[in-house]
Amino acid sequence: MRPDDLSRRTLLTAGGALAASLAMPSILRAQSREIVIGGPAGAAKYFNEAVFPAIRASLGVTILYEGSNSLTNLQKMQADRGAPKFSVVIMDDPVMIKAADEGLIVPITAKGSPNLDRLVASAVHRDGMWANYQRPWAGIAFNSKTPAPASWTDLWAPASKGRVIVPSIQNTEGFWTLLVAAHLETGKPFAEAQYAIDAGFKKLKSLVPSLLNVYTNAPQAMNLLEQGEASMIGGQFSAYTLTRKAEGAPVDLAIPKEGGFAMPSGIAKVKGGPAPELADAVIDAFLGPAVQQILVEKAVVAPTNTATPRPAGFPDPATLFAPDWAFVARERGKWAERWTTELM
Amino acid sequence: MIALLPRVDRDRRVALLLSGPAGLILLALFALPLALLFAVSLQAPPGGPPGGGPGLSLAAYERLLTTPHHLGAVWNSLKLSLAVTIITLLVGYPASFAIARAKGGWRSLMLGCLFLPLAASVIVKAFAWTILLRSSGVINTVLLGLGIVDAPVRMIFTETALIVGAVNVFLPFMILPVFAVVAQLDPRLSEAAATLGANPVAGFLKVTLPVTMPGIVAGVALVSSLSVSAYVVPTLLIGERYPTLASTIAKAYLLSREPAFGAAAGVVLLVIAVAIVVLSSRVSGRVGREGRA
Repeated sequence: MRPDDLSRRTLLTAGGALAASLAMPSILRAQSREIVIGGPAGAAKYFNEAVFPAIRASLGVTILYEGSNSLTNLQKMQADRGAPKFSVVIMDDPVMIKAADEGLIVPITAKGSPNLDRLVASAVHRDGMWANYQRPWAGIAFNSKTPAPASWTDLWAPASKGRVIVPSIQNTEGFWTLLVAAHLETGKPFAEAQYAIDAGFKKLKSLVPSLLNVYTNAPQAMNLLEQGEASMIGGQFSAYTLTRKAEGAPVDLAIPKEGGFAMPSGIAKVKGGPAPELADAVIDAFLGPAVQQILVEKAVVAPTNTATPRPAGFPDPATLFAPDWAFVARERGKWAERWTTELM
Repeated sequence: MIALLPRVDRDRRVALLLSGPAGLILLALFALPLALLFAVSLQAPPGGPPGGGPGLSLAAYERLLTTPHHLGAVWNSLKLSLAVTIITLLVGYPASFAIARAKGGWRSLMLGCLFLPLAASVIVKAFAWTILLRSSGVINTVLLGLGIVDAPVRMIFTETALIVGAVNVFLPFMILPVFAVVAQLDPRLSEAAATLGANPVAGFLKVTLPVTMPGIVAGVALVSSLSVSAYVVPTLLIGERYPTLASTIAKAYLLSREPAFGAAAGVVLLVIAVAIVVLSSRVSGRVGREGRA
């Protein structure tokens, strides 16, 4: 890390701390200083190592993190509906839609979390019901000892026979393969192709000879890619792939010519959760420039707060396609059945 | 009051009283959740017949047991369980004798080899198998080195890999109950059979097998019920290509959020597991009787 990075981050952290303590000093002092956040297991490492210590330093809040997958956390929230354990939850948008529909989360307000007003407009959903605190981008992860894939059609190439891994449709990133297949089959742009699911499945069937496996467990798939057993993971994202690259693993992430995608990482306030004011403050920190700067460095994700600079080499979020997650959330259960019936 | 009762009745009442707390725990932790599971599995699907309201329905069972995809998952679970049980029995039965007949340090060493892997998580073992079975893994390297194959054989994420891995994970659960019985077996029994004119095969079938049957039954019941409900091993060793009852339950609860369907799959899984246990104890009873006859 360069020294100027460090000083900038320190400055931003201090600024964030000052803003937060000016905004709600009495509330924070009156509350218990510990809250539970439910979120993705994959993020636990950089949350615990970098993000939570920064929040603790600025707000004096200790965060207990329960890392799982979004759907499991949703199940827990539903089971604990009467007496929620989580104050804040971090999940992908398609799962947030379900949480909102089931009345498990309440809107974030600019009064409680002032940074909400400083996010790019597309990062705030349903009038603040949840917000994207980061934007990982998705493309094709590949073993960097082999040439970078230029097109999504490379997944189908004869040279890839038995060497491609795709995520299960159970995982949020699993939608990218289906979407790309629909796009390639119909020739329509992503915005239209995303509804041509039958065409997507038709094209996906022809991917079967290329498949080494369909994963639900991302670290296992990444391991096979790093070892060279797999050559590509079709539909992988920066927060997994590029963090491994930063650690020295021989992997990289390509954005093929047809385009890349925006992964939807959201944060929300749990309805009736403990310490609601602390939840507001912690959500504000996640939406603020100090934490987002940490995430840019540690998780290799694009920021959503307009005050956080986007580093060189990060794709412009405007070029990344964000699908109709409400449609995905509604239909995904049916696709899961088709996925195993038609693809395996 | 108790003191006035005949002794047998009194003993029975005391026994009942003493077993009360355990009974209550069993009721609360097993019977009630099972009843709840069964009740949920009979819930009518949302958006059912108009004006139907929340009623009872067999729709979840119908869907599970008539859709080819879901029937395939039931069959996959049964197939895995059957293959793993048969192989662990064939490997584990003689292994139990070897351990039981081994002396001193050898026996400790063999038992250690059996127990130590139990301490490693099933996830670690599944990952280890993917390392061994990959195209640059030990097995392929040896096969290539010996000239047995010309190109690496695709082994990971195949049904063979799944069965090999599952056998490795579940083998101790077959060996331990059989070993417990074999260790107490009087070696003079088979000698006596031989003295009375039985050839080794007849001696084994008429004497050794019936006597060790309780261990076999316990092992079969354990391994088959563990493998029919296995979730982690198939998920890591073969993935989505091999839907099972356990993965159907997980998907129903987590992805499609259909608790009735998940619960129905749970009930079917339970029925299969209970059927295996009942069936194996019946078989054991029959072989035991034939052995004594």
